[in-house]
Amino acid sequence: MKLRNRSMSCRKVAKVLQGYLDGEVDGLTHDAVTAHLEMCRDCGLEADTYQAIKSALSVTGGRMVPVDPHVIERLRAFAAQVRDDDADSSAH
Amino acid sequence: MSALVGSILVGARTERCPDLDSDGYSQNHGRTPHGRTPHPSRRVQHLGGHPVTSQSDQERSEAFDRYVVPELGVLYRVALTLTREPHEAEDLVQDTVIKAFRAMHQFDGAHPRAWLMTILRNTHINRNRRRRPGLLRDPEALDALVDQRSTQGVSAEETVLEGRFEAVVEAALQRLSSDHLRVILLVDVDGLTYQEAADVLAVPRGTVMSRLHRARARIRADLKTSGVTANVRGAQ
Repeated sequence: MKLRNRSMSCRKVAKVLQGYLDGEVDGLTHDAVTAHLEMCRDCGLEADTYQAIKSALSVTGGRMVPVDPHVIERLRAFAAQVRDDDADSSAH
Repeated sequence: MSALVGSILVGARTERCPDLDSDGYSQNHGRTPHGRTPHPSRRVQHLGGHPVTSQSDQERSEAFDRYVVPELGVLYRVALTLTREPHEAEDLVQDTVIKAFRAMHQFDGAHPRAWLMTILRNTHINRNRRRRPGLLRDPEALDALVDQRSTQGVSAEETVLEGRFEAVVEAALQRLSSDHLRVILLVDVDGLTYQEAADVLAVPRGTVMSRLHRARARIRADLKTSGVTANVRGAQ
């Protein structure tokens, strides 16, 4: 079923859907897309599918680029050292 | 940049990085939190040709803690995406941290992540240039990633546990071109905005969008071919 929302058509929704899911559209567009997705089954399904793809990508992609949490701790310590070394050198 | 795009980016960043605003500071608070002028006895440093006279050492440290330190995790993730080598990525982030600290006085307080991504990218390019003159990018690293992908498939058990949907998505991911894969990793895994990914890759924001959309459409097409649907409303 195609539904023509007063402010946004299915075609327009399809154009901005990825940006909508990525949080990259302005507030007005966001609200118009949200309203459309609640009313239009086809676009709603499409949005849910792409959202599921995004979620699956974050999991599978994360496996490709595993992060060792110890590294982040080391980097925090390094950053603190950079900051404090400079403060020390300025004090003398 | 148009006002519209600007508002989009600001809105997106507010959503993505709530920690940046959650401490109640206004946008430029980190620059001159107490409205102090630098102590007259402070040494004047010359970094990048610009004397540092408008930001005291304490203000610089505060800005560094506020804008740079919270981004270390994202910086490392992106560095891993770029280098594909943990030690290399850690070194790259360390260099980026040093440069960011030295350039703190040039940062205007807006979009810290985008600013850091630009420093990270330039540092990455310079490191590669030093080691391999003539190479601006590091295609070898990405080739290694492409090779590695074929050996990192999910186990049969994982496939059963996590569902066929994810398995098909992963298989589709492994078939993407290097450009498409990199954008997917930066946005969907590392959590960058379009503009931040564009800053890292040194391409226009529109290029990030088109690569990202094409990559996802390809994955969507693979799902359709496989007859797999997401567990979504009305599709069960």
